[in-house]
Amino acid sequence: MSEPPAVRLTRLGVRFGERVALQALDLTVARGEFVALAGPNGSGKTTLLRALLGFVAPSEGTVEVFGTPVASLSTTERARRVAWVPQEEALRDDIPLDQYVLYGRYAHHRRLDGDSREDRVLVERILADVGLADRARDGLLSISGGERQRATLARALAQQSPLLLLDEPTSHLDIAHQLDLLGRVRSLARNDGVTVLAALHDLNLAARYADRIVVLSRGRRVADGPPKDVLSEDLLARVWGVAAELAVDRQTGLPYLLPRRLIEEKGPAPSTLLPGPVHVVGGGGSASPLLRALSNEGLRVTAGALHLLDTDAETADALGLVAAVEAPFAPLSDATRAHHRVLLGEAAVIVVAPFAVGPSNLGNLEDITPFVGRTPTLLVDPPSGPAWDFTGGAATRARDGLRAAGAEPVPGTEAAVRRVVERLARPTVPSPAGPG
Amino acid sequence: MPFVYGLEVIVQHLSGGALFPDPCAGSGMTAARCGAYAFIVWDIYLPGVLLALIVGAGLGLSGAALQGVFRNPLADPFLLGISSGGTLGAAILYVYHVGQGNADVYLPVFAFVGAVSTGLLILAVARGRYSSVETLLLTGVAIANFLSAVLSLVLLYNPTGSEQVTFWLLGGLGLADWTVVEIAFGATLALGTLLCLFGRELNLLQLGSDVAQSAGVDAARTRLQVILLASLVTAVAVAFTGIIGFVGLVSPHIVRRLSRSDYRVVLPGSAAIGALFLLGARDLSYLAFPGSVLPLGIFTAFAGVPFFLFLLFRQRRLVTMGGGT
Repeated sequence: MSEPPAVRLTRLGVRFGERVALQALDLTVARGEFVALAGPNGSGKTTLLRALLGFVAPSEGTVEVFGTPVASLSTTERARRVAWVPQEEALRDDIPLDQYVLYGRYAHHRRLDGDSREDRVLVERILADVGLADRARDGLLSISGGERQRATLARALAQQSPLLLLDEPTSHLDIAHQLDLLGRVRSLARNDGVTVLAALHDLNLAARYADRIVVLSRGRRVADGPPKDVLSEDLLARVWGVAAELAVDRQTGLPYLLPRRLIEEKGPAPSTLLPGPVHVVGGGGSASPLLRALSNEGLRVTAGALHLLDTDAETADALGLVAAVEAPFAPLSDATRAHHRVLLGEAAVIVVAPFAVGPSNLGNLEDITPFVGRTPTLLVDPPSGPAWDFTGGAATRARDGLRAAGAEPVPGTEAAVRRVVERLARPTVPSPAGPG
Repeated sequence: MPFVYGLEVIVQHLSGGALFPDPCAGSGMTAARCGAYAFIVWDIYLPGVLLALIVGAGLGLSGAALQGVFRNPLADPFLLGISSGGTLGAAILYVYHVGQGNADVYLPVFAFVGAVSTGLLILAVARGRYSSVETLLLTGVAIANFLSAVLSLVLLYNPTGSEQVTFWLLGGLGLADWTVVEIAFGATLALGTLLCLFGRELNLLQLGSDVAQSAGVDAARTRLQVILLASLVTAVAVAFTGIIGFVGLVSPHIVRRLSRSDYRVVLPGSAAIGALFLLGARDLSYLAFPGSVLPLGIFTAFAGVPFFLFLLFRQRRLVTMGGGT
């Protein structure tokens, strides 16, 4: 008969009122394994650790440590099996470090016991292990943050529990102390057979130290395995909504992620990862729904040439888009038109919004013309009702000219967005005449 | 030599008459005068001293326990309304003339019941789903205010009882006799010893209930037990002496200052400091105002507040227990 694993969660669900913190979570951690728990804020990492500590009661499923349901253990019995290092401990009294570490022996004492000789020897050894032997008599409030976190680890180790839980233990530490602490934790797992389950924000640190990474998202397990199998650009995009590059550390052979930018972010920051740019020509509010819809698709969007204070200009500004802009109500200047042509030239797709054209912005239509042959251009049909041509026919002629040159008419915003996405998905293949 | 003579009286009593069988013999006093002296020393002076020591110890101890369990240097039996409950119990006795024929017996009983029920009420309210240290503390403060209001109301409509109640509110050792000393000693010793066993738990609770819990302390149960015991110890004190402020607040601070923040030391240490503090306050009040019966509660505040402020400003560390670090 094989011995039961350190941790076994079966269909674990935890609910706080309406909010589901964990759902249908199955997880087994073998003895001596170092498992990193990763996931965005609110994904359930801390709840999982707290369930293992018996702090939160499962609404369904079971939590077992070393083959025994946590709920059936008394507080001291559980403390002898599971120890915990919180993110930061509320230390208020300036007690000497060795006394603080001795507090960790609580679960091994009976009520009237004093601190035994064995306890003191053990504490001395643990303090030496975490590199604090020479600080044993110093007050907790007089040592540095990094030393304090090591002291907390020492207090947890004094429990001599075979399962060690860490909740973001490095989040308040500088890089040197992060490496130091996680290195010590890993050697506990490797050399002393301690099972470690650590919630870690930093995926690269997790990859470097843990044997296995378990990724949680919205209370579910979405990835699980050795770091090199789990870490991927796709995972970061899916779970964290972050565009990242995956590289391999030539020294260790381990993967590391280089986060580039938020996928929802509407910034002018150049990125080879986001498709586009899509350039929208508009004015008077006609382009605003398009700008928003295209940005929501995760595309890079530019706009022009717009007048300041115009609704479209403000929308572009709110979305953080690059736009060619002109002073309010002024005819388009040569400089603005030149900027506009640059944006048109960079565009992967051009969308012409159904904007009203007067003498001051007729230049917009004229500037598009040379690009129609080279860049896929969509022409959103102007509404049939209200007049849009205030140029005595010049604008209508210019639009007809665009259509004749190969611009594709689309009936509205939704259809335009759909066609843009299709165009970008197959940039080189001429698209068949689709619906809309 | 009244002092030596007083000692002779005490030794005579303690030895059952084997030593100094007749202290009056060498005193040069008339037999009647000497008998009165002996009575004063043995039946009035000594019970007063002992009650001051016992009540001081009880208040110091429960103050330390409550500060520990609430992780708050302001917590003491008065802040939490436990003492107000005792006063309300006493007020009901005076105002409604319940069992006044036998006030010696009923007064402590009423005060005790009042104080203990307040402690239980706080626990009952805070046992609910959202019990945290903060809820408990605020519940106590709210109940203390509520009880003060009830007391004011009762006194407003029953001015006849208010004089006795006022004296009660101010606190004093006037009820001291040997029976009182024996009861107070027995109860305080038993409950106080139990309370002193919670040093380890209180140490860990200072790190937060979650950490304490992870290290094996049943935080919720420990809180219940400590608050219950502290209420009982306070109730014993309040029952016999009325409200004597400041001993519970200041004693633990002195111990932490003198020694360290290990509750295995702070709990018994606060009992010792509390005992000395109250005895000192009693003697100083006699020295400062000879012949008058200045209520002890007033004197502890007069002596305690400047001393407390001195401590606070001399070493700010003292308050880090409750403040951020």
